[in-house]
Amino acid sequence: MTTDTERTRRFNELAEAYSTDLYRYAMWICGNDALAKDLVQETFLRAWRALDSLKDVAAAKSWLITILRREFARTFERKVPPFTDLEKVVIVDNDELEPDESTERDLLRQGILKLDSKYRDPLLLQAVFGHSCAEIAEQLGITKSAVMTQLFRAREKLKVQLQKDGVTGNVHELF
Amino acid sequence: MSMNFSEFKKLIGADPGNRDPETLRARHSSPEFEAAAVEADVFEAKLQTALHIQPPADLFDQLKKISQQPVRQRNWVPLALAASLLVFVSAAGLVWKQSRTWDSVESYVADHYSHDGSDMTANATDYLSDQDISKILAKLDARADQELAGRIKLIKFCPTPDGRGAHMVVSTDQGPVTVFYMPKTQVTDGEMVEFDQMHALLVSLEHGSAAIIGEQSQNLENLVSTLRVSLKTGLVDV
Repeated sequence: MTTDTERTRRFNELAEAYSTDLYRYAMWICGNDALAKDLVQETFLRAWRALDSLKDVAAAKSWLITILRREFARTFERKVPPFTDLEKVVIVDNDELEPDESTERDLLRQGILKLDSKYRDPLLLQAVFGHSCAEIAEQLGITKSAVMTQLFRAREKLKVQLQKDGVTGNVHELF
Repeated sequence: MSMNFSEFKKLIGADPGNRDPETLRARHSSPEFEAAAVEADVFEAKLQTALHIQPPADLFDQLKKISQQPVRQRNWVPLALAASLLVFVSAAGLVWKQSRTWDSVESYVADHYSHDGSDMTANATDYLSDQDISKILAKLDARADQELAGRIKLIKFCPTPDGRGAHMVVSTDQGPVTVFYMPKTQVTDGEMVEFDQMHALLVSLEHGSAAIIGEQSQNLENLVSTLRVSLKTGLVDV
């Protein structure tokens, strides 16, 4: 039988290992800091309650992502999520990038937030969590070839957006 | 057989971290391939930089507090009562099922919903595992993608005019609605059925059809595209 101490230890290990990536993922799917924090909190609250049902530690990451995605879907039932004005999403960074790099990064961020979820979801699962195409297919319930197509198109759309905005120089209008 | 340039571009565009032997060989097979690979790596580095956002500094400490909460102990008395009720409802349902035939989809929808629709909606819980959902849909050669599965609060087999189907309660932004999935029944797409202050929207799917049922104040149209995209029907190998 799992003791309380053992249970707490398992939970804290999960939180330490996955909370950062889950927060990033939540932030990119909802574009709202407060909602992202709520989603992660609620995800781990549900995980804590259901921890005994997690038999395979190797499946923990996918398990937590599934809980978070469902929780995000449920926010539409409990309340209408706050409207996210993509043009006004500003992510504060403390790192020191060159101005050009910083501009490019901000354009990419706007592009990611504007991507249709069918392209953004697989891209985030791959780039944030390091999922393989097969794992993404399982997580999203689509075929591996559909995942490959969506990942390719997601990147193409971001590249086009980057080139378009880079050429027209409308960076400042975004913020 | 080695891959051509177009295949290679698509592969690294979808999976730039791919390091299987064939892809690695292709990367170094010609200057054109090498340049494309470098370009993909550069873009990937930019993407990683863009995705890298810092979580709140106190996030982990906040999460650790969750583990200080007591885990709820299951109270078996309500479960026993619920089980008894389930046995009763199942028995009543069996009698109902065996005694019914319908001369039209419209009468089926109204009769079925009147039988247990509102009870099922009231009893729909917040927790359904993927396994619970896929176990039932797989028997009907169907599968729900995450967008739909994450919103299903209740699912069970149910009779339809042409054999077995599924009765689901699905969350929407206007509250829960009922969906009857009828794998072998054809309907007139977009037809509305009204009964007992409820209304139902009939939807043709790739294989079979569905009826979305809600109160007359609820807009049912919003669920149509989700059903069409996320309910994969007519699958023989799920």
